Amino acid sequence: MSARSQDRPSQDRLSQDNALRSAIYWRALIYTLLIVIAVIYLAPLFVMVVTSLKSLEEVRLGNMMALPLEITFEPWVKAWGTACLGLDCNGINGYFWNSIKMTVPAVAIGTLLGAFNGYVLTKWRFKGHNIVFGMMLFACFIPFQIVLLPMSQVLGILGLANTTSGLVMVHVVYGLGFTTLFFRNFYEAFPDELVRAAIMDGAKFFTIFWRILLPNSGPIIVVTVIWQFTNIWNDFLFGASFASGESAPITVALNNLVNSSTGVKEYNVHMAAAITAALPTLLVYVVAGRYFVRGLMAGSVKG
Amino acid sequence: MGFLNIDNVIKHYHDVEVLKRINIEISQGDFLVLVGPSGCGKSTLLNMIAGLDEITDGDIWINGKQMKGVHPSKRDIAMVFQSYALYPNMTVAQNISFGLEMRKVSKPERETAVSRVSKMLQIEPLLNRKPSQLSGGQRQRVAMGRALVRDPQVFLFDEPLSNLDAKLRVDMRTEIKLLHQRLDATIVYVTHDQIEAMTLATKIAVMNGGVVQQFGTPEEIYDNPVNTFVAGFMGSPSMNLVPAKVIKVEGRLSYQIETKNAGEPLLLPVGRDEMAISKYLDQEITVGLRPETITDPESANHTEGTVHEANLLVDLTEPTGADMYVVTLLGGQEVVGRMRNRAKAAAGENARFAFDVSRNVAFDKASGERIQ
Repeated sequence: MSARSQDRPSQDRLSQDNALRSAIYWRALIYTLLIVIAVIYLAPLFVMVVTSLKSLEEVRLGNMMALPLEITFEPWVKAWGTACLGLDCNGINGYFWNSIKMTVPAVAIGTLLGAFNGYVLTKWRFKGHNIVFGMMLFACFIPFQIVLLPMSQVLGILGLANTTSGLVMVHVVYGLGFTTLFFRNFYEAFPDELVRAAIMDGAKFFTIFWRILLPNSGPIIVVTVIWQFTNIWNDFLFGASFASGESAPITVALNNLVNSSTGVKEYNVHMAAAITAALPTLLVYVVAGRYFVRGLMAGSVKG
Repeated sequence: MGFLNIDNVIKHYHDVEVLKRINIEISQGDFLVLVGPSGCGKSTLLNMIAGLDEITDGDIWINGKQMKGVHPSKRDIAMVFQSYALYPNMTVAQNISFGLEMRKVSKPERETAVSRVSKMLQIEPLLNRKPSQLSGGQRQRVAMGRALVRDPQVFLFDEPLSNLDAKLRVDMRTEIKLLHQRLDATIVYVTHDQIEAMTLATKIAVMNGGVVQQFGTPEEIYDNPVNTFVAGFMGSPSMNLVPAKVIKVEGRLSYQIETKNAGEPLLLPVGRDEMAISKYLDQEITVGLRPETITDPESANHTEGTVHEANLLVDLTEPTGADMYVVTLLGGQEVVGRMRNRAKAAAGENARFAFDVSRNVAFDKASGERIQ
């Protein structure tokens, strides 16, 4: 009896030490795993950057993972200005601007329309508003491929086939489900009393939207812009289907560049072009990214 | 016809009748308080005066003009919301002048109006701040400024003080009262706090279950409640509602109330409404005793000759500093009396109680309606 009770403290200390040691092992294991995954994840980007800074000679002879012996920006200049896509050797810059001309208006119009839908669906409820919202939500689940044929018909009828404006329309329509979803959920938590106060102050339907709702939608605008910008900029299928040739966006051009090189594959030029194509989305994330998380959290906590 | 006239107003939400034939009429300069427990329909009624909710049947008239179908902004009313509803993206000055801007008032005029109102409410140093940089009391002031600047015919207040802490609430209450006196404004004010109702109102409408239980001046409501609901709702601590039997003792109509004193009942003479109460002879009724009419003999008012004294067992004492609440059992219920702080009463002992019988009221036991 007494012997057992004397044993107890040392046993306790022993089990405490064990617990501490196993906690450290776990921690070490978790960190090792995280580092390995991060390296695997970053490896392609590393290869791309390194390759784009090597001369073609070095790419062919050297190790894929090796740092460049001599840094050259030649591939970047070539990709931007003189690389050949098929017979046309003007680089990717024209297509880069195509993408800008497509993405910026599509994001702006899509976001604004989504905000407007959200406003009507939460603050001016009509009979069956939930059914309308449900149907718009359904649009989020429609695969790209299904809309290809009907969309090309519509574009043909409207005379917008093979134009950037046509692509803008396609992306606005396709993105509307998402932007409406974002804004509706944000405005759902927006206090009704503010709208009522504005009504009593004499503000009309559109004034309330412009002066009260929109200026207080910062976080959700950022979320929607990032989401839409990334999706539209990175889209390949719609670009390839509805805007071949001169008006193609950069994603399609990149594909053409890689496929049309005759003779030697200019990996360094391809990599430079690919990074160029990815830069705008990176930029949007860096500039607006900190609002992104804040926006996703908005509404979850009051204040 | 009064300045604000609520005429047979009914409100349905789908099948639920929220308001059942409301009739209220007040004059210009009146301070009407709609008071009642949550869900009694008081906020709905306010929203219908504002035009934010539609009326199912009946009508509302403001200064002789029919309000049915008139847009909220065209009714010449202003509203202070419970959450203040300040526009977060605008400064205090922009918040106050937004209503004028919407009404196409010129910029110089707007500026004059904002400075007049901000001086009145002492919020001049805050004019360039955003609502998020203001304290609760300051937000409340700005919300009032937004209503004041329009100089409307009727002000509507929807539980404006419920988000403030206790001390600030009392301060703002005084301020609203001062404002009402200075502006001679017509105000409709919704609250569930009966003290706010008593202190602010010139007219009170006590509501319950979508019905106006009683409409009158604060004094009428307090001294002459029409039923047990109004009697119990208004006043703090609330009126003691005690079962009693009407009997005749030595030719005098009296209430017989059970006590814990060895089967000996308390006999209180009926002090008022004797004609009506005499019809209930030998029947059970409910008698309402305000705590302040149950005191120690020294603090009772003996000049009227309506004080009746009795020895009763004290169950509990609650000193509040200024007074001492004394709890005793009457008719099987806890009854609160209000004595002087140093009155001779201790828990578990007998004490001398003085009842001012002139202020007691009687209610029908079954219906809860006043007998008068």
